[in-house]
Amino acid sequence: MTQATPLLSVRDLRVNFRLENGEHFQALKGISFDIAANCTVALVGESGSGKSVTAMAIMRLLPDHHTAIAPGSDILFEGRNLLAADRRSLRALRGREIAMIFQDPMSSLNPVFTVGDQIIETLMLHTGMRRKAARQRAIALLQEVGLPEPGRKVDAYPHQLSGGQQQRVMIAMAIACEPKLLIADEPTTALDVTIQQQILQLLAQLQKKHGMAVLFITHDLGLVGEFADEVIVMRHGEIREHGPLQQVFSQPQDAYTKALLNCRPRLDSRPARLAVIDDFLQDRPYQVPPQRTRGYAPGDDIVLDVQGLCKSFESREGLFGKHVFHAVKDVSFQLARGKTLGIVGESGSGKTTVGLTLMRLHQASAGRALFNGQDILAMSPREFHACKRRIQIIFQNPYASLNPRFTVEEILLEPMALHGIGHDHAERKQLAAALLERVGLPRRALQKYPHEFSGGQRQRIAIARCLTMKPNVLICDESVSALDVSVQAQVLNLLQDLQDECGLSYLFISHDLSVVKHISDQVMVMQQGQVVEQANADTLYANPQHPYTRQLLSAIPQGWPHQEG
Amino acid sequence: MTKQTTLLAADAACPASRSLWQLGWQRLRRDRLGLAALWVVAAFVLLALAGWLGLAGSHWRDEVAKPNTPPALFKHYAPATVELTAADIDAAQQHHTSAADASAATGMSAEDDPLAADMAAAQATAAQSAAASPAVATHADSLVCGSDSRGRDVLQKVIQGTATSLLVGLSGALLAMLIGTLLGALSGYFGRRVDDLLMWFYSVFTSVPDMLLLLAFSAVMSRGIDTVIMVMALTSWTGTYRLMRAEFMKHKGREYVQAADAIGASHRSRMFRHILPNVTHLLLVQFSILTVALIKYEAILSFLGFGVGVTQTSWGAMLAEAPAELLQGYWWQMAAVTLFMSLLVTAFSMLTDSLRDALDPKVK
Amino acid sequence: MFAYILRRLWQMVPTLFGVMLLLFILFHWVGGDPSYILAGKSFSAETLANIRHQLGLDQSLPAQFLIFARQVLTLDFGISWSTQQPVAEILASRIGPSLTLALPMLLVSLLLSVIIAAIVAYVRGSLTDRIVTLICTLAMSVSALVYIIAGQYWLAHKLGWFPILGWSDSLATNLWRYIPLPLLLGLVVSLAPDIRFYRSCFIEEMGHDYVRTARAKGLSERAIMLKHVMRNALIPVVTSLMMSLPYLFLGALLLERFFGIPGMGNEVLNAVDRSDFPVIKAITIYVALATMLFNLLADIVYKLIDPRVQLK
Repeated sequence: MTQATPLLSVRDLRVNFRLENGEHFQALKGISFDIAANCTVALVGESGSGKSVTAMAIMRLLPDHHTAIAPGSDILFEGRNLLAADRRSLRALRGREIAMIFQDPMSSLNPVFTVGDQIIETLMLHTGMRRKAARQRAIALLQEVGLPEPGRKVDAYPHQLSGGQQQRVMIAMAIACEPKLLIADEPTTALDVTIQQQILQLLAQLQKKHGMAVLFITHDLGLVGEFADEVIVMRHGEIREHGPLQQVFSQPQDAYTKALLNCRPRLDSRPARLAVIDDFLQDRPYQVPPQRTRGYAPGDDIVLDVQGLCKSFESREGLFGKHVFHAVKDVSFQLARGKTLGIVGESGSGKTTVGLTLMRLHQASAGRALFNGQDILAMSPREFHACKRRIQIIFQNPYASLNPRFTVEEILLEPMALHGIGHDHAERKQLAAALLERVGLPRRALQKYPHEFSGGQRQRIAIARCLTMKPNVLICDESVSALDVSVQAQVLNLLQDLQDECGLSYLFISHDLSVVKHISDQVMVMQQGQVVEQANADTLYANPQHPYTRQLLSAIPQGWPHQEG
Repeated sequence: MTKQTTLLAADAACPASRSLWQLGWQRLRRDRLGLAALWVVAAFVLLALAGWLGLAGSHWRDEVAKPNTPPALFKHYAPATVELTAADIDAAQQHHTSAADASAATGMSAEDDPLAADMAAAQATAAQSAAASPAVATHADSLVCGSDSRGRDVLQKVIQGTATSLLVGLSGALLAMLIGTLLGALSGYFGRRVDDLLMWFYSVFTSVPDMLLLLAFSAVMSRGIDTVIMVMALTSWTGTYRLMRAEFMKHKGREYVQAADAIGASHRSRMFRHILPNVTHLLLVQFSILTVALIKYEAILSFLGFGVGVTQTSWGAMLAEAPAELLQGYWWQMAAVTLFMSLLVTAFSMLTDSLRDALDPKVK
Repeated sequence: MFAYILRRLWQMVPTLFGVMLLLFILFHWVGGDPSYILAGKSFSAETLANIRHQLGLDQSLPAQFLIFARQVLTLDFGISWSTQQPVAEILASRIGPSLTLALPMLLVSLLLSVIIAAIVAYVRGSLTDRIVTLICTLAMSVSALVYIIAGQYWLAHKLGWFPILGWSDSLATNLWRYIPLPLLLGLVVSLAPDIRFYRSCFIEEMGHDYVRTARAKGLSERAIMLKHVMRNALIPVVTSLMMSLPYLFLGALLLERFFGIPGMGNEVLNAVDRSDFPVIKAITIYVALATMLFNLLADIVYKLIDPRVQLK
C-alpha cells in the first residue's frame, strides 16, 4: 500500500546557500526519499549533514534571500508539488497537514503569550473553531500530551514551564489539527536524559494513536531504535544509507553508517580504543580492539581528596530578604593518580559547580580539598597561583573557551609565560609546537586563529593549553558533549592516550552516562547538589543501588535492541 | 597516522590565516557604500587637521569681500535688499532675540552681561586685524560660498568651523569613551561593591537629561573649546559605561576568560588583554555614534551661546548668525554649514552601520 | 508589588543625594562666588558681604550643603536672582506651556513612527524600505537648528501659513494658532531617528525562533507582524518612550526658544544666560525626580507587557 503514492516524496532536492562573500555552498546535493503515511522515518546525521535544511525545505521555511532551491528539485506532498505552491496554499498546509516541532522549545514559543493562546491560535486559524471551543480543545490537547494540571497550565506563560513541559506544549500545538506529517527537528536535544525518554515515548504513542507520519531528525543514532520504521543516514548533504531500521542496524552497507554505529561508547563494552570514522573508510576491515578493565585498586595513590564540599549562591529578594540556593551540598570524593572519576547528573545537579569550585573559579562555602596533602581551598590567592598549573580544566564549548583574538601560539604561550615554564620565547614555542603535534594538529596551526578550526580541533587546542602546564589533575567539564559522535570518539581516545602516557587524573563531568562509563574508573551520581551514589564504574552500572541511578540508567537510549544480537 | 594526514591535507587547502580584525576589514572593503563613507570621513578629518594647523581657513576673520556677497554660482539670484547697513542687521537680530525672550520679565542690562567684556575684546581684536590688514582695499567680488555680514569668506569660516566641530566631537567622544570604558570595565568585571558604587554614580548622571546637564555645566564654567570638550565628556560617558558594563559582565562568565583565570592570568590581564580586545569593535561603533551626537550637541550649544568662545567659530556659531541673515534673504552661510555638516554626519552614520555589519562577531 | 515600589522609592534616596551633591559641587565649588554676579557692577565690599551672608556663603561648605539640602527637601528654592520672584512660582507658570507643546508632540511622533517603522520592517529589503531608510539617514544628518530656522523662515515669514511666534493665555488659541508650526518642526526632527530605531527593533524580533514557529503554524506574515512581533517589539519601544518622558517637563528647549513659548526650556536657557543659579538648581532637581519616578513607572509598565519580568 505504501508503494502506491507516498505521503511525501522528495526528489533530487538541491539547496544552495549564498555565503556573504558571494560564494555558494551546496547544503543539499540532490537527495531523494519517500515517507509513507503512518510511518516513522528517522533522518540521522552529524552537524553539517543537511538534515535540518531538509526539514526546513519541506516546510518551505528557508529564508528566500540567501538560499536557492535548484530547478529540477521536487517535493511532492500527496502528489502536490510544494516547491510550486503559492503562499496561500502553503499557509493552509502548514500547521494543518504538516506540522513541525523544533529543538529549543523555550525560544520557539512566543514569550509574551500564554501557551493556551498559542494553541488556540492554531486551532482557530485552521479549523474555524470559536474561541471558547478552541480553548476546551486546547485543554484536552494539553491533557493528551501529559501536561500536569492542563486546566491551569493553559493560562501559563512559556517561561513558567520546564523545558520538558514546553516541548509538550509544542507537541500539543503541532498535533492540534491532526496533521498527516509531523516533522520533529532534534526535539529532545536540549532536554535531560530522563525527560528525553518521556518525550520520545509520547511521540511514539501519538504517532500510533493518530496515524501520523513522522519525520524524526536527530544526530543520535541511539534514539532512532526506539520507534523508527526507516532510517536515513546523511553526511555532507548526501544520503549515505536508507533502509528499514533492522537492516540499517544489523547489516549496515555504508562505511559511514558502520562507523557511526561503532564510534559511540556503549554500556555493554569498553574497547581500549573507540572506533573512529577513518577506521572504516580504509580498505582493511575494522578489528575490534581488546576490552579494557577499569576501577580503583586498593593501593591507589590519592591525588585529590575532597571532603564535605559545599557551595551556595545568595540572591537578593524582597525588601531586605535574601534567597540562598545550595548548589552543592556536602560532596566528598577521592581521585586516584592516573585514574578517572566520572561525575554524572542532569542539569541543576551541581556537577559543574563542583568542578568550578575546585578550580576556585567559584569560592567554596565550606569543605576541604586536599591536593597532595595541602588544602587548596584554604590557600591565599598567592599560594594557590603555584598550585594552579597542577589542576586544569577543559570546558564544554570549544567555540567559547579560546580567546577569538589570540593566535594559537599566543594561547599556548600565555600559560607558560605566566608560570615560568621554558627559558625563553623560542623554547616555549618549541614546546608548544611539540604539544600541538601530540594532540594531532600540525605545527603550522600555531599562526592560526581559533575561528579557523573545527569544534574537535579547538578542543584539541584547549587540551594542549592545559598540557603546557604539565598538570596532575584535569577537570573535563562536559568536554566532549558539544562534539559530533565521530569527533567525540577521537577526543576521548586522545584523552585516554594522554592519561596512559602522563599518568593524568581526570575528573570527568558529563550528563552522558555511556561516555562516563567508557572513560571512568569510579562514578559518582549527583542529584540536586548531593551525591546519591558513588562506586566503581562497572559495579555501579551493573548493580545500581539508588532509585535515581536506576532511573537514569533506564532512560539511556538503547539503540536498536537486537543490535548484534 | 591517517588522522594526521587528513588534517595536513585540510590544512594545506585552507588559505592564509586572518584575524577577526582582518576579516572585518575585508568585509568592510566589500561594502562599497561603507568604504565611500570611510573616505568622506577621512577627507573631513584631513580638512580639520589642515584647519588646526593653520593650513586652511586660517584667514576666516579677514574681511575679504563686501558684506553679504552671494556665492559665485548664484551671483545673479542675489536678493534685492543686499544694501543693508550693519545697523539694520543688528536691529533685526535684536528684534529677533528680544521677541524670543518675550516671556522673560526683565532682561539683564548690557553692563551686567558677564560676556560683554569678552565680546568687546573680540570686537576690538577683529577691528584691529581689519584695520591692520590692507585687504580692505582688495575686496574680492566673487567667493565660492559668498561672504557673511562682515564680509568674511564663508568658505574659510566653514572650514574653520569644521575644524572646531570635529575637534570637539572627536576629542569629547574619545574622553567620554575613556571614562565610560574604564568605569564600565571595573563595574562589570568586579561587580558587587565596585558595581554598586559606580552604578550609583551612573544613576546620578542619567537622572538628569543630557541637555540640562550640559547647560548646568556650562552655566558655571567659562566658555572655550576645552570647556566644551570637558563638559561633553562628563555628560556623555554614561552610554559607553552601560555598554561596557554589560559586555564585561557577559564576557567575565565566558569560558575563555574562565580558562584565563584557570591558567593564572591576573585580573588586569583578564580585563585588558583578554576581554577588551573582544569588545573593541563595539567601542569603535559607539565612538562613531558618540562623535555624531557630540557634533550635533556642539552646534546647539554654540548656537545658544554656551559653546565655543566668541573668538572662535564653529558650525553652531555660524548657524547662530543664520536667522538674522535669512530674514534678509542671505541664505548661503546656513546652506554652507548645512552642506558640510550633513555630509560629515551622513558619512559617519553610514560608516557606523557598515562597521557594525563588518565587525559583528556573530558572523564567525 | 507594594514592597517592590517601596524598595524602589527607598533606592531613590541615594540617587537624589548624588544629584544634590553634583549640583552642590557645580554651583558652590566649580561655579565660584556668585555674589559678584549678583552685586553687578556697583559692588562694594559691604554689599558683597551682605549678599554672601544672605546666601549663606560665609558659612562652611558642609553648612552650605545643609542649607541646600533643606531647600531640596522642602522643595523651596528661594527667589530667583534675576527676577526676584519665588522660584516655585516661576516654575509653576512654565510647566503648562511646556506640556501643551511636548505632550501632543510625543503622542503624534510615537504613533507615526511606530506605524511607519512597522510597515517598513514588514517590507524589509524592498525598495520602499531602502528609500525610507535612506531618507531617515539623510534627515538625521541635518541639524535640528537648520530645520527650525528654515521652517520658521519659509513657513511663517515667507509663506505666512503660521504666526512667526507668540503665545496667549488661552489653551485653545495656543493649540490652534501657536502650536502647529513648532509641533510640525519637532516631528520632522524626531521622526527620522525614531523610525530607524523602531525599525531595527521590529527586524530584530523577526529573527527570533518563535517567528519560525508561527510560520510553521501557517500564520500569514501580516498576522505574525501584527500579533507576535508587535507585542514583543513593544518592549524596547516602551523603554525609549519612558526615557523620553522627563523631556516633557524640560520641554523642547530649542522650539520654545525660537517660538517664544514661555515654557521650562525657555526658562532654563534664560536662567543659564543670566547665571540664575536657584532656578537652574530647582529645575534640575525637579527633572531628576521626574526621571526617577518615570523609571519606576517604566518597570511597572514592563510587567504589563512582558510576563517574564518579575518585580522583586
